[in-house]
Amino acid sequence: MREFHFEIMVEFYFKILPYLTITITYVFFSLLFGFLLGALTAYFRLSKNPVLKAISGAYITVMRCVPSIVFLFLVYYGLPGLMRTHFGIDMNDVDAIVYVIITFSIMLGAYTSEIMRSAYLSVDHGQFEAAVLVGMDSLTAFRRIIFPQALHAAIPNVGNIIIFMLKEGALAYIIGLQDVLGRGYYLNSLKANAYSMETYLALTLIYWPLTLLLEKAFRELEKRHSIAFLIQKKSSGKEVKA
Amino acid sequence: MIAIRNVKKSFGKLSVLQDVSLDIKEGEVVVILGPSGSGKTTLLRCISFLERASAGTIAFGDDVVDLKHASKKDILRTRRREGFVFQSYNLFANKTAFENVYEGLVSGRKVPKKEAKEKALEALDWVGLLDRKDYYPAQLSGGQQQRVGIARAVALEPEVILFDEPTSALDPELVGETLEVIKRVAKRGITMIVVTHEMSFAQDVADKIVFMDGGVVVEEGSPNDIFTHPKEERTKQFLKRIIGEFVYEI
Ligand SMILES: Nc1ncnc2c1ncn2[C@@H]1O[C@H](COP(=O)(O)OP(=O)(O)OP(=O)(O)O)[C@@H](O)[C@H]1O
Ligand SMILES: [Mg+2]
Repeated sequence: MREFHFEIMVEFYFKILPYLTITITYVFFSLLFGFLLGALTAYFRLSKNPVLKAISGAYITVMRCVPSIVFLFLVYYGLPGLMRTHFGIDMNDVDAIVYVIITFSIMLGAYTSEIMRSAYLSVDHGQFEAAVLVGMDSLTAFRRIIFPQALHAAIPNVGNIIIFMLKEGALAYIIGLQDVLGRGYYLNSLKANAYSMETYLALTLIYWPLTLLLEKAFRELEKRHSIAFLIQKKSSGKEVKA
Repeated sequence: MIAIRNVKKSFGKLSVLQDVSLDIKEGEVVVILGPSGSGKTTLLRCISFLERASAGTIAFGDDVVDLKHASKKDILRTRRREGFVFQSYNLFANKTAFENVYEGLVSGRKVPKKEAKEKALEALDWVGLLDRKDYYPAQLSGGQQQRVGIARAVALEPEVILFDEPTSALDPELVGETLEVIKRVAKRGITMIVVTHEMSFAQDVADKIVFMDGGVVVEEGSPNDIFTHPKEERTKQFLKRIIGEFVYEI
């Protein structure tokens, strides 16, 4: 087996690291648009309108059945043609990151809609009924009573979807985007692909702490948002006053 | 006076309420009895718009609201005349006992905060739970949760409170304390419609008993009329099944 070059790994690590901004950019925007699209889809899915229900249901099913990489290619190769013939828009100069964000926004739209829908359904409908019967309008009932509880129910899944996006987004290198993986790939290729081990270990050292941090943050968030935590806070607060 | 007129409700092909009418005088306690599936819950849900009736009206004085065609504004106005106590309490799980009552006053009825706070505390005190005001529903017994539910309804000072089997979900040993609190609501002169299977309670508090079966009002009258001289065969059958020989002892 070939010798492992620690110094190359370190060198690659620091050369790759600045490209994390690219990774974070597409993760952020994909999640942002994904959640907006997901909220709309969940709303349609929960509505009584059969047409909206069917459309959102079909969208979710299709997205669940297509591997991210296939969908990324579909968007990358299909969208420019579609835009040119139907809208007369030329996408030649559009940066690869735009395709990545479009792809994952659409994918996450489907995934997050399911997260939001199940979070919403996890709150007993009786509380909504009680809220409107004390005289709240439905929007207030949702905002004051349902949403905070649904949010709590959704926290672990939201954490997971962010981590999923962070990792799945690495596919972006395949359409030539210089994110962390793309950069690592490129650096290795400059050296005749002789340092694959070093490259991928450097990448692991970038992804790993980030994922770990996210996991920890969301676990803490979940805790701080739980009724058990509220109870604890209330009772310790009382002790201070007494 | 509250006048419920010609309420009909079907779920698909299943007709649950055939043509129900009911008058409730101010301060009156009306108890609805009837076998399971007779449409008691559905009636309460229709007059509070949790279900859309297929037909019918409810009138508070001369404010008549069409149960089928009511607008959002009509619904809100009608609901703000009503209080509702649920079989399964339906307390807001993310709010303390105090907040459960307070939230209804502030977000539901737009009562100013300071006044709402006083009212909420007073209502909790009145159901004997002032010392539990900072407890979350998860920390309260079923009976205590239901008492918070009652405080939540009473604090709103509605024109009528609807109770749907308020003690059916409770452990037997907690039924008594909850019924006591409901009796106190009745003594306060609040107009009430109570669906219950607690016969001796019904006899105690009711000014009027309404017996429903198969989506119609079969018979109504004073507790004495219904319990000792029921006219309709279906009423007799029902009472016999529920309380057996008790009927004849009265
Ligand atoms: N949302 C619904 N969809 C379809 N059918 C319903 C619905 N709600 C109630 N029903 C039916 O309507 C009938 C009356 O139900 P309802 O709950 O009003 O009876 P109830 O008198 O309150 O009975 P119980 O004493 O068991 O509470 C039942 O046959 C029930 O299955
Ligand atoms: Mg019922």
